[in-house]
Amino acid sequence: MTPRRSAWLLVSPLLLVLTLAFFVPLLLLIPTSFREYLPGQGMVPGSFTLENYARILTDGYYLEVVLRTLVLGVAVTVICLLMGYPVAYLIVRGNPRWRLALTLLVIFPLMLNLVVRSFGWIVLLSNRGIVNNLLTDIGLIATPLKLMFNMTGLLIGLSHIYLPFMVLMLVAALQNMPRDVEAAASSLGSSRTHVFWSVTLPLTAPGIISGSILVFVLTISALVTPRMLGGPSYQVMATLIYDEYMQLLDWPSGSALSFALVSMTLLIIWGSSRLTRKWAGLA
Amino acid sequence: MTTLHPTRSVTAIALLVLAFLQIPVLVVILASFSETSYLTIPPQGVTLKWYEAVLSDPTYLRAIKNSLILACASTAISLVLGVAAAYALFRRVLPGSEAITSLLISPLVVPSVVVGVAMLQYFTLTGFRGSFMVLIIAHVVITVPYILRSVLASLSGLDLSVEEAARCLGANGFTTFRLVTLPLIKPGLVAGALFAFVTSMENVPVTIFLASAKQTTLPILIFSSVEMGVNPSVAAISTLLIVATALVLLVAERWTGFHKFA
Repeated sequence: MTPRRSAWLLVSPLLLVLTLAFFVPLLLLIPTSFREYLPGQGMVPGSFTLENYARILTDGYYLEVVLRTLVLGVAVTVICLLMGYPVAYLIVRGNPRWRLALTLLVIFPLMLNLVVRSFGWIVLLSNRGIVNNLLTDIGLIATPLKLMFNMTGLLIGLSHIYLPFMVLMLVAALQNMPRDVEAAASSLGSSRTHVFWSVTLPLTAPGIISGSILVFVLTISALVTPRMLGGPSYQVMATLIYDEYMQLLDWPSGSALSFALVSMTLLIIWGSSRLTRKWAGLA
Repeated sequence: MTTLHPTRSVTAIALLVLAFLQIPVLVVILASFSETSYLTIPPQGVTLKWYEAVLSDPTYLRAIKNSLILACASTAISLVLGVAAAYALFRRVLPGSEAITSLLISPLVVPSVVVGVAMLQYFTLTGFRGSFMVLIIAHVVITVPYILRSVLASLSGLDLSVEEAARCLGANGFTTFRLVTLPLIKPGLVAGALFAFVTSMENVPVTIFLASAKQTTLPILIFSSVEMGVNPSVAAISTLLIVATALVLLVAERWTGFHKFA
């Protein structure tokens, strides 16, 4: 057998499984997204409409949900970056003896079941949760703060969930950076802050970008944490898709929204890879 | 040579952030031992009754069983399919190997909820929805990219001359793979399998669209019982999961230096 034939033989089982259980199902969503939907009757076979897509851009409610999803994505990314950089810096530049322990403290929450982590935040943030109890007990507040079913809850929960990804990306970037550049800048009389802003930060930019893209994409597609901390009333795109399929049974609208989410994701990934390539060309 | 060590304030902030990462974990553990149905600080009374409740509840036991079967089966299938594909792709003898690789990893890029609804529609139309095999295949789709990625990473560090040496000494292709290549890529294999297992164990967005009531998995059960309000039984089962995760992570770290693959 030629090497090429045996290579095909090794790849084709997986290719077949993915075609039958992933690519075809995904493609079959396309016709659904152009079907008309009648409440109580379901999809109208053979119909064609652009209504499902038009609604996302014109209906106030849909626009609000899309906008909220994007704002959430940007905010969570920024929070993760600000919280993640010091941790990554400590792991890479701190005492090497602590490196393994600190890294495991980052990986452990990442490996932990998502529903468990989100549940932890419910215990903390709900009306009778720990935070509200504590604040009431020490007399800071009289009525419980609303920390769930709103932006606050989602920001806290999602930042917590995706922070480890950001830290791991930044650790890799800091490790790949030649150390002596910083030392050189410093020995030439640069202050610490100046070294950080003009040497460390630009040299770790690729890691910052890939970490940000990852966190942003994960945040806008998250379902579990937004549903658990936002409830059925405070919707983001993923939870709205879930409800349209499971509660409203409006598959056409749900699949149009699905494609909107997929194209947002792909656009971000494509745009960023172009951006990085352009930078790499300049360097 | 001087290296710039983190200043005290950077260290302090980093440690605070690391503490923030562990808070929900600690809170869940505390809540599972609390007498009251909502947790107070300090906790009032210590009890094991929630553990007793969970471990004698057939719904929970069945969900645990379902989750374990699903995770083991899908990880095993993903390992076989993923390692075979990675082994062929890394040699780049196929036209468009790069393109095939990104195609095979693409389930990672599509939001899980979209994968879920696409499969819901497809398996409903084809009439297979409700079969346990469909759940296993769905989990293979979402876990195989992890295995592919980490095995490809391990293979790229492989010295091909070791394989050639084995072939020269008369070993056939499969023997070479089994006795030479496989042991060399073991760390990547273990890391990939672990990620696959964990991904399957925690998946909600795909499973929830496909699983019938009898096939409910543990994360789905926790997810839907939380909609009814905070319940310390959830904290108890969560604590068991936390302990299991910590043990698995420590064993994997000892065994393969797992953190390098994360």
